[in-house]
Amino acid sequence: MSDGDELIVPPDVVYITYIRTTPRRVWDALTQSAFTKQFFFGRTVESDWKQGSPWRLIMPDGKTDVAGRILISDPPHKLQVTWVVEWFDDAPKEPAIITYDIERAGDLVKLTMTQHTDAKIPRKFLEGGKQGWAAILSSLKSLLETGEALTIKMGPPQ
Amino acid sequence: MSQAQSRFVYVSYIRATPERLWAALTQPEFTKQYWSGVSPISTWEKGADWQLVLESGRVADTGSILESDPPRRLVIQWLCHMREDFTAEGYSRCTIELEPMGDAVELTIAHENDHPNSPFIYEGVGTGWPAIISSLKSLLETGEVLTMQ
Repeated sequence: MSDGDELIVPPDVVYITYIRTTPRRVWDALTQSAFTKQFFFGRTVESDWKQGSPWRLIMPDGKTDVAGRILISDPPHKLQVTWVVEWFDDAPKEPAIITYDIERAGDLVKLTMTQHTDAKIPRKFLEGGKQGWAAILSSLKSLLETGEALTIKMGPPQ
Repeated sequence: MSQAQSRFVYVSYIRATPERLWAALTQPEFTKQYWSGVSPISTWEKGADWQLVLESGRVADTGSILESDPPRRLVIQWLCHMREDFTAEGYSRCTIELEPMGDAVELTIAHENDHPNSPFIYEGVGTGWPAIISSLKSLLETGEVLTMQ
């Protein structure tokens, strides 16, 4: 067994970025497929984004990547969802909780993404997840500030 | 290698070349724009002295260059003088890595020290780097820095 297979309860992953835009545009980018397919590795989203509703993240080939429920919906300030990875069999079935806090800071928005889970996961998924959020949210910032998302070539976590 | 007691890692993807990003990280004409007037002073060679100087002329941080491989990797030995409790924690290490990926560069900043639950790492650089690097990314991608409140 390599170090990457060791099971651990991961600390919260927190990623903060500052974007020159409005809270409403960040909310729309996170919840509308026209935006997500540009910055979220080609994925679309499906939900009415009301508290208690289901939501899905869908891969370009139509398969469900992630599914969950909306825990908090307070547009355009806060969105909290459960997050269960569906696309591979040995993914943890206990949901992670993803929270987006969208705060106005002058002519900027401070976006804070927090990933919380109580489930033990292989260490290698943790490292992949950290890099994934940085890429997704860097690309979101580029999209909102320049009109163009980033093209990042990245392999899966090893 | 010993494991650091406190460690903050920030990753950002920036549409730029590694050479341009390296220049933006090391040349005062860039840093002054996106980092509230701060200038780094160094020759950036291994073993060279390094300082961060505020717009007022006050020296905020001092140290030396532990590793330098432009435009890929830079390791700075870093002592903060802005707060007594930060200074008392002793030297930290800041490792900066640049890796091209598609049309972007993956910038990884890992800042660590050997102080448990370090206020310098988690309150100081942990809140500082996301704001500084967000502004740097905006400068390189749009020509304009962010104005932090």
